[in-house]
Amino acid sequence: MNCQTCTDHMPELADAKLDEKTAALVRAHLGGCPACSGEFESLRRTLEALDALPAAAPSHRLRARVMGDIEAEKLTLRRQAGWASSIRAAADSRRGRRFALLPLLVPSLGACALVALGFMLGERTATQRQLADLRSRVDTMGQLFEQSVLQKRATGERLETVLTAGEARRPDERVINGLINSMAFDTSVNVRLNALNALYSHADQEVVRAGVLACLPRETSPLVQVAMIDFLVAAREHAAAPELRRLVGDSQADIDVRESARRAIELL
Amino acid sequence: MLAVRDGDLDCMGELFERHHGPLFGYVSKLTGDRTAAEDITQIVFQRMLKYRHTYRDQGSFTAWMYHLARRCTCDHFRKASPAPVAVDPSELESHADESRGADESAASKDDHALLHRALSRLDSGDREVLLLSRLQELSFAEIAGILECSVGAARVRAHRALRSLRDQYHRLQKEPLT
Repeated sequence: MNCQTCTDHMPELADAKLDEKTAALVRAHLGGCPACSGEFESLRRTLEALDALPAAAPSHRLRARVMGDIEAEKLTLRRQAGWASSIRAAADSRRGRRFALLPLLVPSLGACALVALGFMLGERTATQRQLADLRSRVDTMGQLFEQSVLQKRATGERLETVLTAGEARRPDERVINGLINSMAFDTSVNVRLNALNALYSHADQEVVRAGVLACLPRETSPLVQVAMIDFLVAAREHAAAPELRRLVGDSQADIDVRESARRAIELL
Repeated sequence: MLAVRDGDLDCMGELFERHHGPLFGYVSKLTGDRTAAEDITQIVFQRMLKYRHTYRDQGSFTAWMYHLARRCTCDHFRKASPAPVAVDPSELESHADESRGADESAASKDDHALLHRALSRLDSGDREVLLLSRLQELSFAEIAGILECSVGAARVRAHRALRSLRDQYHRLQKEPLT
């Protein structure tokens, strides 16, 4: 074996990827050739150093962002698959139980009334002061949302909070109100959509349906508007009819939103 | 990935958990920019979702993923603005180097810093092929597929890149401290 062939095989020898026969020939050459031996040793040390270079770890935001993307895609899939109709069936099955739960819902209804009042009073560019005022009046936001949603944390963290809240089997009043608040005020379309998505499981609650209905006139994203309309249809929220009629006649509204509102009126 | 392609998006979460670490590490070393590496890694997974219907059960998923990563990295550098990017000071803490403790030897840190600098001095193509060749999951045949060249050419380029890195590394070790 000459020096050139030996040199060509050095990286594979350092990686133990050479077959035994060739490796033996290269080693034999290295044993008798100080120049090649020195070259091999320096390449081997460089590879070792490269492999030992610590791998950077991504921040937790990456996970939240990617999981948010996956959830958004799932939402799109579900909508395409007629998700709304299955939710409507679920809402129907729960309708019978609604009045039995009325005493439990009274506090939530009160909170919702205040949220709705906040919506009516607030303009689209609600100031932090208005938000703080609304928060103090509602007085039901849990630490979860206090910490992540209302204190300007990164979008990924807010999304993570909303997704976590959506996974709760029996979310309490604070969580439900926090989700409604996110749906109403969050600056990220992704967060608002996921908050709405999380609220689907609680479409049988009056406070949730009223919250979605109150948010619809304030919503600026056609994507979220259409999702809200689907929600209201799925939940058979007849009180939405006037707002839906307004949207149909609103020439400024996105054409898909107007079409969704028109179909919703027919379905309701 | 086949399950994801067929509509089971829950499996996408599993793919993320399994592959995002090595992928991020690769892109991070390739770009030398942690923030850009996070953005690119996210875009890779976004593209997996978007183009899942195009995934074919030919070759390995890993090779397909790094093929996407290569394109995303190219797109990133094409679009990259030369203007400085504002960073939220509240997020700086999480950008701190958490990979090594204070008790680690300074010499080791210096070696790593030198190697990072040596890597950054390589031609981007050399850096790419060298880092791909150090990923245990990829064979040279797969690397050749990613780089769209022959297996022999991929091997030769990786060897040449290793020698360039070695030369840069040695040169930096001999440079006086500034």
